[in-house]
Amino acid sequence: MITGTNIVKTFKQRGNVLDKREVPALRGVDFTIPKGGAISFIGESGCGKTTLGRIIAGLETYDDGEITIGGVDMSSLRHRAQQPHFRKVQLIHQDPYSALNPTRTIHQSLHDPLKLRARQTGRSRQWTYDRAEELLNLVGLDPGYVLPRYPHQLSGGMRQRVVIARALTVDPEVLIADEAVSMIDVSLRLGILSLLRDLRERLGVSLLYITHDVATARYIGDDGDMYVIYRGQVIERGPTETIIADPVHPYTQALLSAIPVLYGVEQPGAEQVKPVQAADAASHAEDGAHCLFSSRCPFADDRCVTEWPRLGHAHESLQDPGGRVHACFHPVQRQVAAAPIQRS
Amino acid sequence: MTLTTPMSPDGPPSVRIRDLTVVYRTAAGELPAVRDVSMDLAPGTVTGLVGESGSGKSTLALSLLNAVQPPGRISAGSVDIGGLGDVVQLRGDKLRQARGGQIGYVFQAAQNSLNPLKTVGKQLLDLGRSHDVKDLRALVAEARDLLARMGLDGARVLDSYQHELSGGMRQRVGIMLALVLNAHVVVLDEPTTALDMITQANILEIIREIHAERGLTTLVITHDIGVVAEVADEIAVMYGGRLVEQGPVRAVLGDPHHPYTRGLIQAIPRLTGDIDEAQALPGRPPTLTTIPDQGCVFRSRCALRMDVCDTVDPLFQSTGDRMVACHAVAPAATFTTTTSESEREMTPSRAWSGIGSGRREPAADGDGVVARETNEGDSA
Repeated sequence: MITGTNIVKTFKQRGNVLDKREVPALRGVDFTIPKGGAISFIGESGCGKTTLGRIIAGLETYDDGEITIGGVDMSSLRHRAQQPHFRKVQLIHQDPYSALNPTRTIHQSLHDPLKLRARQTGRSRQWTYDRAEELLNLVGLDPGYVLPRYPHQLSGGMRQRVVIARALTVDPEVLIADEAVSMIDVSLRLGILSLLRDLRERLGVSLLYITHDVATARYIGDDGDMYVIYRGQVIERGPTETIIADPVHPYTQALLSAIPVLYGVEQPGAEQVKPVQAADAASHAEDGAHCLFSSRCPFADDRCVTEWPRLGHAHESLQDPGGRVHACFHPVQRQVAAAPIQRS
Repeated sequence: MTLTTPMSPDGPPSVRIRDLTVVYRTAAGELPAVRDVSMDLAPGTVTGLVGESGSGKSTLALSLLNAVQPPGRISAGSVDIGGLGDVVQLRGDKLRQARGGQIGYVFQAAQNSLNPLKTVGKQLLDLGRSHDVKDLRALVAEARDLLARMGLDGARVLDSYQHELSGGMRQRVGIMLALVLNAHVVVLDEPTTALDMITQANILEIIREIHAERGLTTLVITHDIGVVAEVADEIAVMYGGRLVEQGPVRAVLGDPHHPYTRGLIQAIPRLTGDIDEAQALPGRPPTLTTIPDQGCVFRSRCALRMDVCDTVDPLFQSTGDRMVACHAVAPAATFTTTTSESEREMTPSRAWSGIGSGRREPAADGDGVVARETNEGDSA
């Protein structure tokens, strides 16, 4: 289990003396990845979801807050002492084309982490060969075909499977998949997604799925929590099916309204929410004591521009029985997601 | 939303593509990226062309401009555009005027098609001069109107370099540049790829509105069926360089006939409903070197595969409200029995393995791998 409390990260932009700007990437985010569970971070580009994923994988520092892996607080440890803990968390990148070294065969790419793992666990050399084959079998590839080949000889879908196999070489407890299928051909995406689902079932690894595509997040972890992130703040969190069926935060509603409806198969939700201003304009708005979404929110009133609603502190009614929390002063459930057309 | 206005003499032009074949020269000889494609874009409609990478959809779109670059070339067929004639026959200055003049093209990743060293306004003036526009002031005014129509501050955008604009804004600049010379046939290549969900919804709405307001004939190319569902009247599905199904969007999505269309729609996870209804499509799409040159291009992934699929190209023919190219769905008794009888004897189902023999070994293909890639997929 991994927990994060009040994670804060600010990027300092380089520039001349007058132009120095601080860009808040994460504004105090809490999260929990339960053992064997699946959660997802949803948001648009620039919302901080990838930064958060990299922090959890130990690839990025954070300015404030606390991350515990298996109960151990990472902030109190030195870098070297952190490593065995972050080993349990492995990141699967978006782009399988650049995630593998083009000058090394798949065998070489898998063998190095396996050798390390064999040394750590006192296993034999032969184990590394057996394990490489076992892992490739696990991700649905033919070891005899894949091992001697270079990445450029494999298709995108196969490469992403190799990347997943490589992540598994160090026996992780958590896999972080950052937009793992967005560069894969449409007809092959579902294969990768169900592989991730399958690994969770068979190996008991937890999944953190980072994406802008709500439907794939639901496919990966419909029993887990969904975190909707806007400009570095989690603005709504709850069971995935609840968030999709009855979102209360206008931003979540806008995000779900924007998902294309498969007319002929689906019908649009009863209501639609459209942000009043384009993201381009809003991103320049001053940060201050106001709701981060207020400049685009069609329902914003005076309170929204003078007070900052914090997740779970905003409203008396914000803890609904289902375990959903949100950061909105005026939560109203709206059914915006498309639903399948009922056929007789 | 649907706009199929009756044609007036100066209404939206029609586009007729006939038997179009585009080949690329490779070490293994000339291989077709688009083969025998015939398609009509009805005047005033939005057609969505769907396909995966390597399906030939972008090549087909470039053919509309007669802009296929070497080593590719249009080897056969015609592209008739109303009021312009056969684009494939156009050369030199005529062709250059047609591009941008009558046919607007919004490039994939509009962000990369803008010159980083010039402001948008300067590029607009370049466009005007190259098309012999007399009144450049009017052109700028028109551009400003168009940008304002799309919710941007026209004056500011024209004074900006491309790095000063966000992805959604650049996409709108791309649309402006395609339309400012009053083109009535517009091709949009992956107009919303790499955009955020809300920006995508915004751009799709703009495309729909501008299409209706200006009386355009629009072709939208995408890999995302959702985009087509939102924006198009007609859908055309491409696979392995062939058109496999075309028809009204709602009819095709609600009741897909071709096994590939069916598989593709089924492979999309949905927001609501039964999560396990989503099923992976077995196998993987062919590349230029692995497209079989005889028989159905989809057969290696098809559940309805029959002997005839190995040897006889399914005809792209009308079945009720749409066109489909599939032996199993639209058995073309009159067309194929004569050939299939004899050919089935000579080339049994092993024809598949023989086809590739004259070609270079594809980079990554092995039937064993294909099978494994999927049997795991939909178990859960």
